[in-house]
Amino acid sequence: MIPRQMKTLTLFGLITAILLTAVSLYAIEDLPAFGDENSPVNKQIELFSVDADGLVDSLNAGVLPAEIKTRIEEMGFIPGPTCQGCQNENYPSLEEGNYEIEYIQEGTWLGGRVYTKGGWDVSILEGEIYYNEPQQYFFINESDGKLIVYRYNWPVRVTERTEEETAMINAVTSGLADYRGYDTMGEETVILTGAIGVILLVRRRGRL
Amino acid sequence: MTPETKPYKRDIIIEVTTNLMFPLTLLFGLYIMMGTGGTGGGFQGGTILATAFILYITVFGHVKGREKMPESINALFKSLGLFLYNGAGWICVLFSLAAAQWLNMPAFWPVTDYLGVAGSRSFLVSYMVSIGIGLTVMAAFVSQYFDLAWKEEDEMESGQR
Repeated sequence: MIPRQMKTLTLFGLITAILLTAVSLYAIEDLPAFGDENSPVNKQIELFSVDADGLVDSLNAGVLPAEIKTRIEEMGFIPGPTCQGCQNENYPSLEEGNYEIEYIQEGTWLGGRVYTKGGWDVSILEGEIYYNEPQQYFFINESDGKLIVYRYNWPVRVTERTEEETAMINAVTSGLADYRGYDTMGEETVILTGAIGVILLVRRRGRL
Repeated sequence: MTPETKPYKRDIIIEVTTNLMFPLTLLFGLYIMMGTGGTGGGFQGGTILATAFILYITVFGHVKGREKMPESINALFKSLGLFLYNGAGWICVLFSLAAAQWLNMPAFWPVTDYLGVAGSRSFLVSYMVSIGIGLTVMAAFVSQYFDLAWKEEDEMESGQR
């Protein structure tokens, strides 16, 4: 297979290339599928859980129960009477008429992700000042007589979970090489390629 | 070509200032490059490290600059930076077994047992990845400046200008 005059260095390079190809294929096969609910963009954040009795009917009727609303306000996410410090937040409040509740069946493909569990989707209605387009806000799932409330949104995860997930105070630093690691890897490769190009152009005798 | 045979005169003030500034600039570059709470990152830190060498080459010429940064070390740094970054990713991919969990999800990378998942991610991002980026950026800029300086001198010698 390999020609006799092939040097040791060339053989070493060939073996490295084959190994890297094998590892790349393994990695590509293992990457999360498009729309995977556990990929970082689509991952939901679990907030809290409440007892489900009596609240399911209210959710089916399209009204967010006061118990859930108060708990969310206490956590400081939306402006409301029980959250004094967040009157100036831009997140839309959960007054009636501001949101829309819809039951999503299990296995539905919606908004770029697959729902592996069914549940109620609380969406922001169209026409909100800061969130003009209708978009998902909270997600409520029922299991074992409990209602588990999740939160959507990629920026929310960065601002609220960065310190817990990456042990970093600086959210920007973690975003550079953690959540957006592949982007930075490409940038570094571009710089290396540019340097190699300059070397190939400049390091020859005589005029270009 | 020794520094004494340069076509221009030596200036003792510039040379002493450069000798003073050189290690301080390197230290500042390292400070920018590393750390999780810092303001900078690999790209900025690598550029500042490169400016130290560029100042040195400007003042002392590329022959003496080669003693500070030999070509072999420069070429090594250039690829070692990318290897550090990608190597961290590959190790995460290989050790996480059955899921490519590079940096986006908790990876079972060998130091996880000692630092915890969050701590090991912090270690990866702030040290391995940042140093990798910094090394590549520094070596790329320094090598380009070396090439330009060498090209200019080469053309001056052969009388093309």
